[in-house]
Amino acid sequence: MENLVYIALFAPFVGSMFAALFGMSPKQTFVGIIASSLLFISFAASAVLAFHVYTTGTAIHVTMMEWISAGDLMIPFGFLVDQVSVTMMTVVTLVSTVVHIYSIGYMDHDKSFNRFFSYLSAFVFSMMILVMSDNFAGLFIGWEGVGVCSWLLIGFWYHKEDVAREKNPSISPSWAANEAFIVNRIAGLGMLIGIFIIYWNVGSLQYDVVFADLPNLSSSVLNAAALALFIGAMGKSAQFPLHTWLTDAMEGPTPVSALIHAATMVTAGVFLIIRANPIFSMTPEVSFFIAALGTFVAFFAASMALVNRDLKRIIAFSTLSQLGYMFAAAGLGAYWIALFHLAAHAFFKALLFLGAGNVMHAMDDELDIFKMGGLKKAMNWTYIYMGVASLALAGIPIFAGFFSKDAIIETAFNEGTYVLWAILVLTAGMTAFYSFRQVFLTFHGAKRYKDEIHPHEMYKFVLIAMAPLAILAVIAGFFMGGFQTFVTKLLPNYEMSHHTHELIVVLTAVVLVFAVGGIWLAYKKYANGLKRDEKLENSFLYKLLANQYYIPQFYEEFITKPYAMISEKMWKDIDMKIVDATVDGIAKFLYKSGDKARAMQTGNLSNYLNWMAVGGVLLLIVAAISAMLA
Amino acid sequence: MIGLSHYLIVSALIFSIGLIGVLRRRNLLMLFFATEVMLNAVNIAFAAISHYYNDLTGQMFAFFIIAIAASEVAVGLGLLIVLYKKYGTLNLDDFASMKG
Amino acid sequence: MDNILSILVFFPAIAGLLGFVVDKESARAYGITVAAIEFLLSLWLWFSFDTANAGMQFVEMIPLIPSFGISYYIGVDGISLFIILMATLMTLIGMVGMSTTKNIKNMIITLLFLEMTMVGVFVALDAIIFYLFWELSLVPMLYIIGAWGGPLRIYASVKFFLYTFTGSLIMLVGMLFMAYIYHNTTGIWSFAITDWYALVLPVNYQLWLFVAFFFGFAIKVPMFPFHTWLPYAHGQAPTIGSVILAAVLLKMGTYGFVRFSLPMFPDASVMMITPIAVLAIIMIIYTAMVAYAQKDIKQVIAYSSVSHMGIIMLGIFAMNAEGISGSIFQMLSHGIVSGALFMLVGVIYDRRHTKLMSEFGGLASVMPKYAVIFGIMLMASVGLPLTIGFVGEFLVLLGFYQVSPIMTILAGTSIIIGAIYMLAVYKKSFFGPVTNEANKTLKDLDAKETWSLVPLVLIVIWLGIYPKPVLEPIDNSVKAMLVFMDKKAITQEAKDMIRVSKSTEGGI
Repeated sequence: MENLVYIALFAPFVGSMFAALFGMSPKQTFVGIIASSLLFISFAASAVLAFHVYTTGTAIHVTMMEWISAGDLMIPFGFLVDQVSVTMMTVVTLVSTVVHIYSIGYMDHDKSFNRFFSYLSAFVFSMMILVMSDNFAGLFIGWEGVGVCSWLLIGFWYHKEDVAREKNPSISPSWAANEAFIVNRIAGLGMLIGIFIIYWNVGSLQYDVVFADLPNLSSSVLNAAALALFIGAMGKSAQFPLHTWLTDAMEGPTPVSALIHAATMVTAGVFLIIRANPIFSMTPEVSFFIAALGTFVAFFAASMALVNRDLKRIIAFSTLSQLGYMFAAAGLGAYWIALFHLAAHAFFKALLFLGAGNVMHAMDDELDIFKMGGLKKAMNWTYIYMGVASLALAGIPIFAGFFSKDAIIETAFNEGTYVLWAILVLTAGMTAFYSFRQVFLTFHGAKRYKDEIHPHEMYKFVLIAMAPLAILAVIAGFFMGGFQTFVTKLLPNYEMSHHTHELIVVLTAVVLVFAVGGIWLAYKKYANGLKRDEKLENSFLYKLLANQYYIPQFYEEFITKPYAMISEKMWKDIDMKIVDATVDGIAKFLYKSGDKARAMQTGNLSNYLNWMAVGGVLLLIVAAISAMLA
Repeated sequence: MIGLSHYLIVSALIFSIGLIGVLRRRNLLMLFFATEVMLNAVNIAFAAISHYYNDLTGQMFAFFIIAIAASEVAVGLGLLIVLYKKYGTLNLDDFASMKG
Repeated sequence: MDNILSILVFFPAIAGLLGFVVDKESARAYGITVAAIEFLLSLWLWFSFDTANAGMQFVEMIPLIPSFGISYYIGVDGISLFIILMATLMTLIGMVGMSTTKNIKNMIITLLFLEMTMVGVFVALDAIIFYLFWELSLVPMLYIIGAWGGPLRIYASVKFFLYTFTGSLIMLVGMLFMAYIYHNTTGIWSFAITDWYALVLPVNYQLWLFVAFFFGFAIKVPMFPFHTWLPYAHGQAPTIGSVILAAVLLKMGTYGFVRFSLPMFPDASVMMITPIAVLAIIMIIYTAMVAYAQKDIKQVIAYSSVSHMGIIMLGIFAMNAEGISGSIFQMLSHGIVSGALFMLVGVIYDRRHTKLMSEFGGLASVMPKYAVIFGIMLMASVGLPLTIGFVGEFLVLLGFYQVSPIMTILAGTSIIIGAIYMLAVYKKSFFGPVTNEANKTLKDLDAKETWSLVPLVLIVIWLGIYPKPVLEPIDNSVKAMLVFMDKKAITQEAKDMIRVSKSTEGGI
């Protein structure tokens, strides 16, 4: 079994290194094929491991070697395959495999094809470290590793130039990449502080040691640690106010958005909360804050998705919103439900993104859904895939999202947090609306795109590769019970109370009414083509939502620009004019005083004698004073 | 009665006259005279103090100073003559080759 | 080879003297050969080094002026060993990648002399010998900046020389006073550092001496507000000068704190934690912001050096093994990474004769290999895990957290603002379309440049993944030093602050 752990972990690494060998040469299809096969091997190993953990119920723990040891600190490269991590491993490798195969088709015409696979596999490797590590430091390696890969992949088309924010809200791929990296560094600092708190209070960073020692810690320490870790999670999972980078990250190639910015990396924050659930279950205040923030983000992001016109950005907002749901569940203590929604979301959201990729491919990289329409005929399979994914996202029965999202909403009710419940229900309706607004605007109605564009379906093998995700988006919900028994061996179980159980039909019905209502509204408005409502589009609220509440502009005006200005001032006014000028001033004083004193040297003996007399008198005075003092 | 302090006052006065001469005179020859005046002021002080303490060392010293002053004048005057021959003047303001 | 250390110190100098008779055309090859032999010798030193022994090894002692207790006394421990290795490595790499052609023979000879002084500083165990090499190292650097530098080279080199020299004179006064006190208490003269260690000083003496030594070291580091010579020196120095300056010469200052200040004045050091930490945090944040405002790539890296040296200073005053070991590791990491970054800037300067970011843009498209190596070094510089930069930075911040959580959070912002200025440089120079015609025909790294940079990349990754061979000997020596400091400290505050590792609690 140990070997399988290493195979699952290092197969993507080998793939990445292999692709990197050809990184600077022109496209080689076999690079993509080999990278994808290695990913599949990793997936197979993960699946076998999952089966092993499922049947035996025991975790596999391996320690590869020592990493950092100094003072009393000892951090190994240790890997833990238990119910939680094996779930993540399976989900990550499965989605990654699909995305890799998809990319062979999608990146077909890109001259940096090989480089892309190198980055993509490196990302999977980092993600595997993140989920498999048995200590917080190892988690941090993966945490930063996925951050760098995300930076590389968002900025994959680095040669594009910066444009004004009005033209493209993300300015340029390289700008978006830097933004993502820097925001994640803010979160990284939070995470590091959390690690420091844990280390100095426990003396170790190993999960098992830390969790065993928690009862000995004071509640202020626990709260501080939980809060610091959650700040880390906020950055990676793009929670408010660190959320702006996620939509800008859509500048990356679409497979990247599907893998990193929907299915895997952004869920790392949720994974951290689930992984460190012993800490969070002992800090109810922080947990409630997480739930409240999650709920807020769910609503907040959904509201921005309502009016957006960019195909990928809508999905990005929906990802943000769904992450909010996951945090709500995790914050309320329903860790296994959060994990289940994480997995289900990974399947249907990746599918949605890949479908969006097909559309982009067909539309010559057009992203504005107002300029699409009527694609159903040309892209039947993509239509079905995106429809299925949207149904799952909207939470329509039998689809995966129904089970997982409904459970979260029920949890909010069960916990007695009715405000959160109400917001989550409302958000479910909004989710259904914007998902289907997008589907209808893209695929239904008359065509609105230019005549020179000839939409065409994606390659067959790509469509086949997407099938597993589509199937899982439909059926994943049926495994909910089995999943619960599996992961609750490790995670605290969460059951609805008797009272909630009685009301379950009513609760489900309420959610369903909102979801179906949202779809119906979208159908009414958009299924028969786009009718633009000038008045609505010029209203304040619409503009507010379309401009993301002006938060990016706010950040630019109040953080980015002042930072640049202060830096400039510090350099020119403080460093040059005060610090350096003082040093030069001292030097100049010495030089000048020497220069002035030079005038004494007239060469005239008489002057010299005068100075000598002055010196003699001075000496006499000094002698007299010292004699008097003595 | 003339006591030690009278001698010392005279000595100090003469020394001051010499010092002012050294400071104010521009002619090298006059400078020499001024230094001689200062030396003799010191001699007076030495002789007076020597008498006051009944110790001959001071008067001995005065003799030495007279001898040194004499030899100094001999060498110094020689140098002055060379200088005068070379530059045609003994005015200090004309010798400023050490100006910084 | 019992006197390997003496060989290490004087071999480059003797070879440098012989260099005068070497033919001009073969001077470069000669220099590389000598530097390579020197590097192999230092590797040999590492292999014969007993990692379990925390004390001084390969000690040599020859009395020079016995009546004043001055002797030629040298040795290495885990703390100095790797800095020596880095000094010899960076000299070799710098020579391999050197693009200077003007007066190449003089350059080679100067570098070899510089190598002697650098190794000398780190092996010296006698204060006078230490001071001798410390000051001698200024001369070759003065010459390198003054003779091969940019348009402001005279100003920059004089500023560098006088500024650091002033500081070291104050340090010299401290040393003389220290020896004087030693003579007063024990009745014998001695300048041996190990003798000085044994001397327990009253707290007010410690404070004065700490301040005297502080000026010498702080200007060299350079600590805020004594840092302004550095941007000029880097801005004007030729590539090789910047590489050596950033990689090795700055480390003399931080090394001095570890070798002198901490073990000699433990109480004063503990009392000085807050002021120094405040200066260090100003260094970290302020210079990082100043770095962001720079237009010239080399200036960005120069200011970033100051910022990283702030992290090192912070770690030294964490007073626990995590922080100090991390800080010494960070010295190595900063040496290699900033050295490599300066070489990378040199690469582009050789091609375009400008270092202004506005002149570039889109270099990743024209020079992919260059962009990859620059990217790796950038990531190491911002402290990405599994690169050499993370280990030190992580340990330093971890160690200092025990002293003050708030200050650690402030210092920790370096991982954010460090990323800001480095990514800004990368974006402005490497990303975007190629806008400048002159950049369209740039050649990627040639063999010479690749051969000098690839070893550094390998080290960056190797020590990021497996730092143990280096970290372990450092850690052993640091732990022993902490035990010693804890025993020696006289005030209770100092004893409370100095944190002895659990594994060494019973003493060694």
